[in-house]
Amino acid sequence: MASIGHIVERTPSGEVLSRAQQRAMLVPDCLVEARRIANTVISGWHGRRKRGIGENFWQFRPYSEGESLSRIDWRRSARDDHTYVRDREWEAAHTIWLWADLSPSMMYKSTLGAVSKESRALVLMLALAEILARSGERIGCPGVMEPVSARNAAERLATAIMLSPLSEGLPETSMIRNASDLVLIGDFLDPADKVMDRLAPLARRGFRGHMVEIADPAEEVFPYAGRTEFTDPETGEKLTAGRAEILQEDYQRAYLARRDSLGSSLRHLGWTFIPHRTDRPASEALVAVHMYLSGMPGRATHGGLL
Amino acid sequence: MIGGLSFVFANPAMLAALVALPVIWWLLRMTPPRPAAEVFPPLRILASVLKREETPSKSPWWLTLLRMLMAAAVIFAIADPVFNPRSNTLASSGPLALLIDNSWATAPDWERRIEAAAALIDDAESRDLAVSIVFTGDRQHDATPGSAGAARNRLAAASPEPLPADRRSAIAAMRTAFQDAAPGTLAFVTDGIEADDGKTMETLAGIGAANLRVIEADGSQAIALTNSSNENAGMSVTASRLKTDDRRSVSIVAYDARGRAIADGEIDFAPGEAVAKGTITAPFELRNDFARIGIEGAATAGSVHLLDDGFRRRRVALLSGEARDLSQPLLSPLYYINRALAPYADLVEPRETDLAVAIPELLEQRPSVLIMADIGRLPEEMYPLMKKWIDNGGTLIRFAGPRLAAAPADDPLVPVTLRQGERALGGALTWSEPQPLADYPTNGPFAGMPRPADILVKRQVLAEPTADLAERTWANLADGTPLVTTAAEGSGRIILFHVSAEATWSNLPISGHFVEMLRRSVQLARSGGVASEGKTQEQTLAPYRLLNADGVLVAETGNARPLHVVPGKAPLASPENPPGLYGSEDGFTALNLLPRDAELKRIDMAAAGPHSSERLTGEESWSLKPALLTLALLLLLADAVVVLFMGGAFSRVRMARSATAVLFILCGTLVLLPLQALADDARADDQRILERLDTTHLAYVVTGEDDVDRLSERGLTGLTDFLTYRTTLEPGAPVGLDISKDELSLYPIIYWPISANAPMPSPQAVSRIDAYMRAGGTVLFDTRDQFSSLGASSNGTSPNTERLQAILANLDIPPLEPVPTDHVLTKAFYLLTNFPGRYTGSPLWIEAQLDTREEASDRPARSGDGVTPIMITGNDLAGAWAVDTNGVALLPTVPPDEMQREYAFRSGVNIMMYMLTGNYKADQVHVPALLERLGQ
Repeated sequence: MASIGHIVERTPSGEVLSRAQQRAMLVPDCLVEARRIANTVISGWHGRRKRGIGENFWQFRPYSEGESLSRIDWRRSARDDHTYVRDREWEAAHTIWLWADLSPSMMYKSTLGAVSKESRALVLMLALAEILARSGERIGCPGVMEPVSARNAAERLATAIMLSPLSEGLPETSMIRNASDLVLIGDFLDPADKVMDRLAPLARRGFRGHMVEIADPAEEVFPYAGRTEFTDPETGEKLTAGRAEILQEDYQRAYLARRDSLGSSLRHLGWTFIPHRTDRPASEALVAVHMYLSGMPGRATHGGLL
Repeated sequence: MIGGLSFVFANPAMLAALVALPVIWWLLRMTPPRPAAEVFPPLRILASVLKREETPSKSPWWLTLLRMLMAAAVIFAIADPVFNPRSNTLASSGPLALLIDNSWATAPDWERRIEAAAALIDDAESRDLAVSIVFTGDRQHDATPGSAGAARNRLAAASPEPLPADRRSAIAAMRTAFQDAAPGTLAFVTDGIEADDGKTMETLAGIGAANLRVIEADGSQAIALTNSSNENAGMSVTASRLKTDDRRSVSIVAYDARGRAIADGEIDFAPGEAVAKGTITAPFELRNDFARIGIEGAATAGSVHLLDDGFRRRRVALLSGEARDLSQPLLSPLYYINRALAPYADLVEPRETDLAVAIPELLEQRPSVLIMADIGRLPEEMYPLMKKWIDNGGTLIRFAGPRLAAAPADDPLVPVTLRQGERALGGALTWSEPQPLADYPTNGPFAGMPRPADILVKRQVLAEPTADLAERTWANLADGTPLVTTAAEGSGRIILFHVSAEATWSNLPISGHFVEMLRRSVQLARSGGVASEGKTQEQTLAPYRLLNADGVLVAETGNARPLHVVPGKAPLASPENPPGLYGSEDGFTALNLLPRDAELKRIDMAAAGPHSSERLTGEESWSLKPALLTLALLLLLADAVVVLFMGGAFSRVRMARSATAVLFILCGTLVLLPLQALADDARADDQRILERLDTTHLAYVVTGEDDVDRLSERGLTGLTDFLTYRTTLEPGAPVGLDISKDELSLYPIIYWPISANAPMPSPQAVSRIDAYMRAGGTVLFDTRDQFSSLGASSNGTSPNTERLQAILANLDIPPLEPVPTDHVLTKAFYLLTNFPGRYTGSPLWIEAQLDTREEASDRPARSGDGVTPIMITGNDLAGAWAVDTNGVALLPTVPPDEMQREYAFRSGVNIMMYMLTGNYKADQVHVPALLERLGQ
């Protein structure tokens, strides 16, 4: 019997990029909700409906003691006895850090899935970059690329990844300095506790995170039968099951339990969790992430679940 | 030879297969199939699940060892290791002579004897010796030495016989055959039991063989039952064995005629004793059922002791003149007879009450005795049948009663001529006192019984005094009148008890003497009673069932000859007359293997001179093959269980699933089964019978005359309407009955208008009416001739009355009387003094009740048990009742008095109430007295 799953070659960046742009075309521009990014000073395109650093007029307000004199709008102040300060509307660009896990376990594709997990992860990442760049957000990739705000951010991200491949496991976060959004794409097959140990400090630093868990259908369904020797692509560890079919129920229970515990722990942090299977269209996950990024209309009612 | 046991492989070449064991080892190590390789990223999750039932990639060492053992066991089994192989020790100086006992004692180990003899023949063949073979149980002996093949054929054809060994002729034949040249080896395969002359070994040594070998078994199977006798406590059984010094206890079992074990006992042989006695303790009636006695676990002809039908119980048929309510068993005459005889006899009772059917049915079951309690008259065609049966040896026992007392004197089935009517002793109008019994005469079967002091006879039927009355009498009353008389008819006998079989005429039926008298009477009737009466002719009995060598009775008689039974001389089992039963199913004589009290003796080996003696058992070689194969099979089973267990076949999920499946199948079976169990046993008539049973119906006999039948139908309709209107009884529409066909038992009363012009009912129809009356029904005969009878015929009876007399002549009816004024009929619903119909003046006749004079006179109504089975009137009741559809009377009353019609209806109501409530109404009159006694 031909084996169900196999390891695939790394997908070429160019192909991924073109597919990502196709996917991104299906999704409208994403205005990243920016409730908590007060310290992000780099201006973006979107008025934030409050005073801050920007180019457009927002309001006049009376001068208060201790403010810099240079901020006084003398033209307005000349009209009457008060001294006024001109406030401008805050127009800020948001920084989104995108990251995809490209560990060997992601190089897996089964006969049930359409593409490998790695391919799907890259497509999602680049498509997100495309969409966000269209909205003028700043796109970064921890350890690979400093945040840039450019129309061709997706291309630049693809080039950066090509030049310096993404590290395995969870990202290096030293590059991230300010509160910003973090989109993590991977399979997160490590034990939930371990993953959370890594993520909890990030959450404490004020990052808002979105996790997209990419899974191959074979991992979820466990369609194996008979005497089977399983190999872990990361460690090379081998495990032989005498009658794989009798494990199915127990395995599924364990697998889903892990996913549930991971999801609920993340929601405790205020992060979102989006499971995604490679036999589904990539746009599904894209739309889900899009909705979370753009203010999460369903958050209040669905408890963060779609 | 190790420790006295020699050990040899029959197929040593097969041991070479042991070389294959390492290969098997290597193969076994490879057992698990190569797994399918799969890449699986979430291995850690899988690992957390898999830990519980991790399958090792190699079989555990102990499983491999188990399988190796299995393979080794199979290889060794095929190599066939044998203990005790034989060795050839025949003398080659002359032919081999085989003398083989095939008597009854050889049956259990016959196969081993055959093997021992066959081994000797094999030895002779390998040395080119001729073989002479003789069996002591055969009738003809051919001792001429022949080829080994011929001897082997004769050996294979021989079988144990259910007879003692007859060695004298066998040895004589052998001696003749070896007159010229003595045999080299003479082997005597013996059962160890000495024949009657006691010189077996002496004559055997006289043949002059160079080498005499005696081969015998241990003789423990040779136990024979030699005698049995029926004693007080139980059946005593004698057994004999070959004398040994050990204690032996055998259990003996008694079987009935169908081979069921019904009792058992034990026989203990003391050390050194050859004869022992034991007892089978069983109740007397159970002992009667013994057909043979056998030793448990022994299958020889000697271990079975056959009993003949001297022990058999008689079959007794019972007939009664009336079938009383089952709610009043103490009033039924059969009840006492039943209770008295049930322990001693097989009782049969007819299923039909109709005597014309019941008697042939009973006689077909071939009873030894027929007991008729209070039957006065039988259907006419039954007399020849009964006569023939008695002539053939049947015994008829009759009890008197009101019916017999009323029967005509020319009854052929009574032993003495009877006076009509009965004699009452101690009534108000007699001076005589109730009589006790006198001493029993010495000529009867009751002789020897003590005189019962407590029995009083109040009423009896009397015999006409004749010259031979005294010798026909078995029991007398104190005043000399006979109580029990008898007469021999052909080879049978008629016995008459002059009192009734229930306690109304005497208290004999409720005394122990009744039991003893009946038992002795029945005992006389036995078919095997030829000997007891001292007949001395010689009999020849055909073989009926014969014992085979295994002690089983078989129907095949082979070439057995008929058995001559000479009185005074016990027959002996012989080849012509093998043991078994001789005679026929109805009576047989048992012929047992050994004569009475015979004793088994050992053959005296000392007389044989120099000889070698060997045991059958010591020579037996036995193979280890079956044991090894069993071991291999057990290992295979263990391996299967282990493999299943390791494969997870017993995991909880699996179990639950299979349990569900089993449950499902079971449910399916349960649901489907009852569908097949449905069977249609309804009969066409059932629906009509059910309708009839739902409500009470009045019924009349369809005479065949249209106007009479129409009047009956209208009359009963009128009465039905009246009943519905006046009483709580609401009968259904009247039913016309064809008494020769219809079921009568559904109706409480049948109205029978007698018409002389109607065809005479057939004897079968009258017999059915008789049965109906006997079963508790009532027939209301209406001659309708109260006024036409005046001067109608020369003797003053009308044609209708003559017809009624003709009908009643064939019926067994009790004595009749007009309704007494205190009878319950006069008070059942209305208070009536007479019972008019269209006419008035004719009395209503009913069954006469006993003991009127003994009743207290102040009682307003007489109690009576049961309901009169017959009513006769001439008042044309139906004529008075008859109404048309508008309720207008059809016929005028004579004289024309509407009050008389009203009284006719009231008569009908009273009759119906009496029918339906019986003596309950009579008891009702005691209610005030009862209430008063209760202090209300």
